[in-house]
Amino acid sequence: MIVCVAVVGHQNNPLYIQSFTEADDALKLHHIVHCSLDVVDERVNNPKKSGPMLNETFLGLLYPTENYKVYGYLTNTKVKFILVTTDLDVKDADVRNFFRRFHAAYVDAVSNPFHVPGKKITSRTFADRVSSIVKSFGLSSTV
Amino acid sequence: MGREVSESCIDSLLTEMVSTYCNRFYATKPELAARRIEAIGYQVGHQLSERYTMERPRFSDHLEAIKFICKDFWSEVFKKQIDNLKTNHRGTFVLQDNRFRWLARMSVDPPTENGGLPQDPSALAENEATQLMSMYLYFPCGIIRGALSNLGISCAVSADISSLPACSFVIRIKA
Repeated sequence: MIVCVAVVGHQNNPLYIQSFTEADDALKLHHIVHCSLDVVDERVNNPKKSGPMLNETFLGLLYPTENYKVYGYLTNTKVKFILVTTDLDVKDADVRNFFRRFHAAYVDAVSNPFHVPGKKITSRTFADRVSSIVKSFGLSSTV
Repeated sequence: MGREVSESCIDSLLTEMVSTYCNRFYATKPELAARRIEAIGYQVGHQLSERYTMERPRFSDHLEAIKFICKDFWSEVFKKQIDNLKTNHRGTFVLQDNRFRWLARMSVDPPTENGGLPQDPSALAENEATQLMSMYLYFPCGIIRGALSNLGISCAVSADISSLPACSFVIRIKA
């Protein structure tokens, strides 16, 4: 289950952060997202030797904690997407698929002429779309 | 699935936008009108670049980003690629489009007979036409600047009209 998604701007400013848990652990999740930003920076500045993956937007598993796995995605415009999940056996393809749909939703949200670039995304449509993407996460593999 | 946009609508919208800003809002201050039009282009370019770079890996250097503008971005916006790209390898790029779509249907008033003028009337008319035309190029300049700055490259973009409908855009990347 996805417990938290976040969009972070190119100056590491939070654009959108949403947790999907019943418990009151928003602060903890924010902390995890915050920590992951350093890992993203590290990945981008010291790319691994693996050739073809060099500048891919999908950054893969950033770091595992005891209860969570954190995945990252960096767009061409230096916007970071962070995904925190409690599933411990996640398929890479599922995560890629999630980020692709999430990116599409993000692009539609920032293409709104009333959205101010670099400011928080307040669109309700975006929030609804994100929660439906989050709900459908991992379903494709079970069907 | 891509959505389609009527080309003549876009042409008319651009014409109207320029004339509204130049003749109504800022009739006495052409520089201010130019800045406003450029700013609208900036926002458009900013949003378009987000969309068009969605499925591609990140760019590793400036040249790659410029090439993206010349090829994919230009094809998406104008249905053709830039015809010629020149660079001095020190941060200046010249993008030449031999048939720029937004200038292709522009026409110039024929030079009016006016014997009293000291200058050659045709040269004068041409000069005036270039001035008028340059107003229409602030919008595409803004689009390029917006797209590049969203990709993390801050730059200044200006446009030159050599001979209609060819025009070139000069990108100067700020160090």
